[in-house]
Amino acid sequence: MIKVITKAAVVAALFSVALAFPAFAEKAGIGWDKTIAAKSGKAKTIAELAKMYDSSACIECHQDQYDEGQKSIHSRSIFGTGRTAMTLMTAIENGLMEEPYSGVKSPKDVKVEHLMGCAKCHLPQLADAEDSVAQELVTTLYSWKEARKKKDKEAAQREEDKLKSLNISCLICHNRNAITHKWQDGYPEAGVVYGASDGDHPSESFPMMAVSPIMSEAIQCGQCHGLGPNLELDQPTQCCTSYGSYLWAYKSEVGQDSCQECHMKKSKLGHNIQGYRDPAMTDAAVDFRAEAFGYYWRDNRQIVPKAVVKVEMINRCGHSIPDG
Amino acid sequence: MPVPQQLARGDRMGRGPYEKSGLIEDTGLPPARPVHERFDILYPVEEVEEKGKTISKPLVHDLDIEVKLWYLPFGSMNFDPFLWREFNKTVSISQQGK
Repeated sequence: MIKVITKAAVVAALFSVALAFPAFAEKAGIGWDKTIAAKSGKAKTIAELAKMYDSSACIECHQDQYDEGQKSIHSRSIFGTGRTAMTLMTAIENGLMEEPYSGVKSPKDVKVEHLMGCAKCHLPQLADAEDSVAQELVTTLYSWKEARKKKDKEAAQREEDKLKSLNISCLICHNRNAITHKWQDGYPEAGVVYGASDGDHPSESFPMMAVSPIMSEAIQCGQCHGLGPNLELDQPTQCCTSYGSYLWAYKSEVGQDSCQECHMKKSKLGHNIQGYRDPAMTDAAVDFRAEAFGYYWRDNRQIVPKAVVKVEMINRCGHSIPDG
Repeated sequence: MPVPQQLARGDRMGRGPYEKSGLIEDTGLPPARPVHERFDILYPVEEVEEKGKTISKPLVHDLDIEVKLWYLPFGSMNFDPFLWREFNKTVSISQQGK
């Protein structure tokens, strides 16, 4: 009798775990079930995924940082200037559809796993979504492209806004990606905002603050800003490589500043994290000196007047420039 | 810029994140290391006869030198070129002497 009850209890317990985490396979580490994604279950629509990491509540107390963030391209990470959105479609057509073993014959075959080559950085939270979101994303991209082609400004703007609703919001850096070494430091928990302090946080949905061990470290940015080929993927991709350059060309030989030191603090740009598009960054990035003079050079019996131009450039960044 | 290798094999450059892997070379500016460029620009000359000899004479004695450091995010001046630094100087050569 006891055995039967025990078995029933185990079955009930397993069933309740399955209900609590309906769409996630169990992970090895301890505490993954407390993450936003595990608590919410996988998003089924773009709207659900946007809501999962909705940062609009941050505005109430952090208006300045929010406004700064909105100026950064992080706030439209899969749309970019429009070129990122176009490149996603190129990646489907010239990449996935031409790769014989990808399983993608048309955009309708695209799943989350197919998009992670781009989404790893442009939309890491896509990993917390079902394939229906990948499909909705692909449909939205092509609808946007079609609307632009037809010069239907209203429809193009509607699709653009939908694409922009998914981005590197406050909660991606301050929660989802705030901890890299999860077996050492624990998984980022739902309801907790990670930054520089511990304690209470006056917010209904995020009532706690905790220290992120990496928030001011380069690896926080390095999660997306690239070492080289993303070899963990079945089909490796490569985009940004500045973190690799930072580690091996700057940190190992030149200096100790972090990404945040230059891109946020010294530039005074805060959460408006910029590269070459902001004068604060470009002015500090390169020392450029040139001199020019003329003289009569003798080439055997010929007199050849010429100008000599000498240029010296020193990159003061923490990585090679340009990158990409 | 880092010139990526196509699918991490061979001698072809990859284009598009789906086929870029690794590096062929990096033509960018490395951190803290001075990079020098030198340009020799010949003055335009004409051949003239003087005292029974054919000699080259400069057509002009002043050259307007313009050096521009461009960043071309998409590899071409046709799309979103960014002028990073600029240097202008008029270089003169003497009009006398032998």
